[in-house]
Amino acid sequence: MPPIRSARTRKPPPDGFEDIEDTLLEFGNKMKDAENASHEGKKRHEVLWPIFQISHQHNMNSGCGWEVRVSWDEVLIGGVVISGSRYVYDLYYEKEAISKQLYDWLLKNGYADASLIAKWKKQGYEKLCCLRCIQTKETNFNSTCICRVPKEQLKENQTIEMRCQEKDPW
Amino acid sequence: MLKSTHVPSRPPPVQQPPLPPGWTEHKAPTGHSYYYSAATQQSTYTRPVAQPDTYIPPELHAAAAYRAQNIPNAFSINQPFHGGLVAPPFQQQQHGHSQHSFQSSSRGRGGLGGGHGYQDRRRHPEDRPKKRFEIPGCSPWVLVKTKLGRRFVHNTESGESFWKFPEKVMKGVIEFDRLEREKKTMEGRGDGTGSNDVPLGKREEQSKEGQRDKKGEVDVGAKAAATASEIPLRVESLAGTVPVEDAEDSSDEYEEVEVTDDEEEDGKGPSKRQRTDSAPEDQPVEFNEDDIAYQLAAMGEEHGLDPGEHGDAVGEDWEEGAEGLPLSEEDTAALFRDMLDDHNINPYTTWESLIEGGRIIEDDRYTAPATTKARKEIWSAWTRDRIAQLREQREKQEKKDPRIPYLAFLQKYATPKLYWPEFKRKYKKEAEMRDTKVSDKERERWYREHINRLKLPQSTLRSDLAALLKSLAISTLNRSASMAALPPALLTDIRYLSLTPDIRDPLIELHISTLPPAPVASGLTTEEEEEAARQRKEKERRAKALEQRERRVEEEKRRQERDLSFGRGRLREEEMELQRAMTVGKEGLRTQLGYLEGKDDPPAAKASLDTPV
Repeated sequence: MPPIRSARTRKPPPDGFEDIEDTLLEFGNKMKDAENASHEGKKRHEVLWPIFQISHQHNMNSGCGWEVRVSWDEVLIGGVVISGSRYVYDLYYEKEAISKQLYDWLLKNGYADASLIAKWKKQGYEKLCCLRCIQTKETNFNSTCICRVPKEQLKENQTIEMRCQEKDPW
Repeated sequence: MLKSTHVPSRPPPVQQPPLPPGWTEHKAPTGHSYYYSAATQQSTYTRPVAQPDTYIPPELHAAAAYRAQNIPNAFSINQPFHGGLVAPPFQQQQHGHSQHSFQSSSRGRGGLGGGHGYQDRRRHPEDRPKKRFEIPGCSPWVLVKTKLGRRFVHNTESGESFWKFPEKVMKGVIEFDRLEREKKTMEGRGDGTGSNDVPLGKREEQSKEGQRDKKGEVDVGAKAAATASEIPLRVESLAGTVPVEDAEDSSDEYEEVEVTDDEEEDGKGPSKRQRTDSAPEDQPVEFNEDDIAYQLAAMGEEHGLDPGEHGDAVGEDWEEGAEGLPLSEEDTAALFRDMLDDHNINPYTTWESLIEGGRIIEDDRYTAPATTKARKEIWSAWTRDRIAQLREQREKQEKKDPRIPYLAFLQKYATPKLYWPEFKRKYKKEAEMRDTKVSDKERERWYREHINRLKLPQSTLRSDLAALLKSLAISTLNRSASMAALPPALLTDIRYLSLTPDIRDPLIELHISTLPPAPVASGLTTEEEEEAARQRKEKERRAKALEQRERRVEEEKRRQERDLSFGRGRLREEEMELQRAMTVGKEGLRTQLGYLEGKDDPPAAKASLDTPV
């Protein structure tokens, strides 16, 4: 039987975590508040709006990135929504503020989504908002989300309606 | 709270000329004095002088007098106020300004223009009645809308005015609002925005609920409707209370109105002007900033100046002469960075949270870069540098051993009376016991060792400490070491812990005093010092440049204000001249006619002509 790791016995996080701990905690608290908010009288999809909004806000740093790792049903029963990916990505790749060790630890502990960050590193996917938007198998014609279409190729006055919420409310 | 919208005027100069005979001085409820002449029944805020050497236009005088008589407190209080004079109730518009300039002209700064100082140039919102509406069904009552969008009712017969609508008038106001809305929707239909076939009663309710939504779509008129539906709600809840209490409850709404006032004026200047033009009453023309600017431009054109030149001519001269230090792009960036440094901003936070915090926005240097995008770029560059710097610093300074606080803790609390599990349970809440940097196993080991050593005789412990002190290298422990900053090698040793501080510290001090001084001290090189001095100088220069820029802007603003009031004064003078000229012309003709017809004019007609319009 593997050892049970409690808060007391766990290994300490790598150096530098104290610096970013407050910000991450803030993200987590906001998200938890949104998740635990009452859903009385709301429609099924409306429940998710504040969650996406916060997720979006936290990742607006350098683009529109925000993502949901779990499916919709899981979100509804209180699944984990990761919102700090862009923050962690920036700290490691743009500002070089955190060590490789800490970055790996953050990924492992669910502060950021590794698969989404993996996409951001590819050309053309720098501002991908969520993995769902490039998941072709879920759409009728095996295409990506409308938000992946460049603006100049959109029709005049075409509004973007995404399943993962409005793209850019600001 | 509902604040008084009246701007308290400056105390009059110490030495005041004596009042002319018949005039008396009084204090208004708002605290400033006005002057009243019992003989002519005039009252004015401007202090009349015995021998008036400047010509005070009679119209102005009358307006000021009117103002003092009727609304001396400028609607600052919520209680009903009584007016003496009623007919077309509120007309004075530009005279609020003229009074100010009259008062401040005694302070210096240029003749007619007067001009306010830089400090009082920021005008407080001044409320004054703007439009009057008849309320259907309650004939003596009229609904008056003020410049800031507040509304009150006024009884033209008894001269009473109320912020809070009396119940009988309330119905009329609701009816009036309904009609207003209907008109609005009729216009909307004319534009083809769609018809509204909801019954009126229902719409009333809808507007109560969804007034917020409406506000965005429809403009001023609809806003009136919305506020109207707000007011009934409030009154219902407050039915039967005295109006004084109303002040607390409704203050927020009024405050809100005042805040939005400025923006609205900026956005909807033209439409508002149009409205006053179409107003049925024969109001004197209102001059607002736009008009003045337009007039100035027109005057400039008359004199053959390029647009912009007429205003800036003086300033350009000034700028050429006393040109401050230039503020280049790097300087703005550096200023912004200085600001971030000075505020001790955590470089690990996000830009959004920084902005939300709002601390830096209040700083002057926040405005140094022109756009938020530029600011954000500077911010991200700064964070990168700052984090690198922090990391360097951290590497340089010796790492603080996490064991030191724990060992100090042990020294304080460990007793042979407690086993480790007991000790652990007792102090589990302490920060030293929860620190993740030290593992639980290690803690236990240290505890057991320490407890075992406590049982040893004092002499052994002393000799152990002496051995430990001797074993330390001269570079770590030397004469310059102080008791407050002992080397970690000493602090983390179990032998250091074993003795109580009152025995241990004198021993260590004694040992340190016998030690030779530190081998070589490597301080800062001269180059580094020079670099630091240079950077300090640069920073000072940038701060100075910003200050000078600020001063320049201020100067320019002041100048513009001066020009504006000067232009205003000229305009008024010209107007007066025109009027005078016209009156005289008619009079001359009449006297001529009277002479021809045998001098039997009715005196009443003559009198009416005599009084200036």
